[in-house]
Amino acid sequence: MKKLDKQVANAYYYTRVKHVAIYLSIWFIVSFGVVAFADSLTGFNVNGMPFHYFMGAQGALIIFVVLLFVNAVVSDRVDKSFGIDEEANERLGSGKTLDH
Amino acid sequence: MDQQFLTSMAFIFLSFALYIGIAVYNRARQTSDFYVASRGVPPVWNGMAIAGDWMSAASFLGMAGTVMILGYDGLAYIMGWTGGYLLLTFLLAPQLRKYGRYTVPEFIGDRFDSHKARLIAAIGTMLISFVYIIGQLSGTGVVLGRLFEIDAAIGTIIGVVVITIYATFGGMRGITWTQVAQFIILIIAYLIPVVFMSLQITGNAIPWITYGEIVTKLGELDRDLGISQYFAPFEQTNKAQFLALLFCLMAGTAALPHVIVRFYTVSTMKAARWSGAWALLFICMLYLTAPAYAAFSRFILMTEVAGQPFDALPAWTQTWIDTGRLQMIDTNGDGILQWSEITISNDIVVMATPEIANLGVFVIGLMAAGALAAALSTAGGLLIAISSSFAHDIYYRLINPQASEEKRLLVARLSIAVATIVAGLVALDPPGVITQIVAWAFSLAAGTFFPVLVLGVWWTRCNAQGAIAGMLSGLVVTLTYIILARYFGVSLFGIIDTGAGIFGAPISLLATILVSLATPEPSQKLKEEVMDLRYPEQMTYKDGEVWLHENR
Repeated sequence: MKKLDKQVANAYYYTRVKHVAIYLSIWFIVSFGVVAFADSLTGFNVNGMPFHYFMGAQGALIIFVVLLFVNAVVSDRVDKSFGIDEEANERLGSGKTLDH
Repeated sequence: MDQQFLTSMAFIFLSFALYIGIAVYNRARQTSDFYVASRGVPPVWNGMAIAGDWMSAASFLGMAGTVMILGYDGLAYIMGWTGGYLLLTFLLAPQLRKYGRYTVPEFIGDRFDSHKARLIAAIGTMLISFVYIIGQLSGTGVVLGRLFEIDAAIGTIIGVVVITIYATFGGMRGITWTQVAQFIILIIAYLIPVVFMSLQITGNAIPWITYGEIVTKLGELDRDLGISQYFAPFEQTNKAQFLALLFCLMAGTAALPHVIVRFYTVSTMKAARWSGAWALLFICMLYLTAPAYAAFSRFILMTEVAGQPFDALPAWTQTWIDTGRLQMIDTNGDGILQWSEITISNDIVVMATPEIANLGVFVIGLMAAGALAAALSTAGGLLIAISSSFAHDIYYRLINPQASEEKRLLVARLSIAVATIVAGLVALDPPGVITQIVAWAFSLAAGTFFPVLVLGVWWTRCNAQGAIAGMLSGLVVTLTYIILARYFGVSLFGIIDTGAGIFGAPISLLATILVSLATPEPSQKLKEEVMDLRYPEQMTYKDGEVWLHENR
């Protein structure tokens, strides 16, 4: 084991937190935000249905799925850029597991 | 014994034979198999198992019916039950995976180093899962009741027997792979009738593209009838209730013990993130389809069933009227069935529509098998959560730490049997429709566990006293509001029983923070364990520093 520079460790954590904050903001706007203003978003159609209905039935869901896959891919890249190796994670993960 | 009955039975028997075969092939050989499938499930398969576990009778049977009856207001369920996966995957699942325990109560007990917190969490888990399972058993009752043309209560009893036998068999390891099979069966069963309906009504086989215009047409039909338009927002409920329900379903999703435990079955934090993404993709296959199902069902009912003379109604109407969940009464006495004279229960829309649309015995039989797959797979996951809370967290960790492996498995299996039978008794006379009962479970999870889990993972200063105060206050407030709103007509800001968690969760959050700050800090060891959850497995937080394990 080698000691990690405090700045590097913090940088890792803050990068992850920043990404999660961005994703959760989008999540909040497309769900709670659209619902809060649903009455004034009825005027135009997307995919054949009024916009507020489209967001509730299709739009928000598609954005949720995209956000989760973006998170998975970007997190892997962040891990890689900090020299994290998934094989080592697997080895350590199974070793650290509490078994009783 | 008509052809329909025989076909449905054949489908059900074939699918059951498959599940039992898988369960026997993968039966639990040791405790870690029973609880977490030995932690080696690949993310895509785990995603499918999560989707099978997740999509219950409420999703399969109840949701399209709820959207059909509530219109836009029913979409709170669609968004809530999917959006919660973001909270779960971003805030909890990878961190809980790194902590590496069997159950949610075990995480809480060890994170706060408190047996009292462990006990409260175990009781909370059992209560939430118990409420949830009532909805599943009541769903099995609807399907079997229709199939055998018997009262739904007798259908429920048959369901209880089947679920008890099958869930005590395999434990988590068997359940992982049966849930994968159940997901595949339920999604095929759900998609086929929608594709056929889309083809029948619009001439295009892709429902997700075509149903938008049907939604708009439903609005026009409603306007002609002088009722509020199908897609008009906040006609059946008010905006506060919609937002409250949305919050409860999302926070509840992130904190449901039987869902969290599925993230323990993968190998790493990275695998947990990917599991979450795959799970939501598979879940959205059904959730993007449910509003289409709702629109087509309503369109067929409004244009083909309503307007018929009462003496020329097709045969399917009588069998559903016999189950007590469909009413057609000629209130204005003109001999013609009007749209306003049809009262249809949310819970039968999905099962009845293939018959209404005349889709043939195979599709209807497949639907029955799919609905049972949905109810069984979730009931299986819930029973594991109940039995592990009791056998592992209460019996083994608190009462008898010297218990042998065999004895613990025996207690686990016994608690599954007891829980199913008691829940079955309650489900004989269900206290609400399926989606409503299930929404209570979500409100309870949102109020009891969500704030404590998020703070426990991200806030080092959070301590045992805070967690205990948070869980208790959240549970008491949510439960009280559900009972007051359901049985005594109490309502704040127009929020009804299903949105109760909107009061429980903030109070729980506040109680956790205030009591934690008013009591001594947790030990250095606990704080370091929490700091450690911020980094991937290869990084370890120890003695105020982060250490990197070298690659081998």
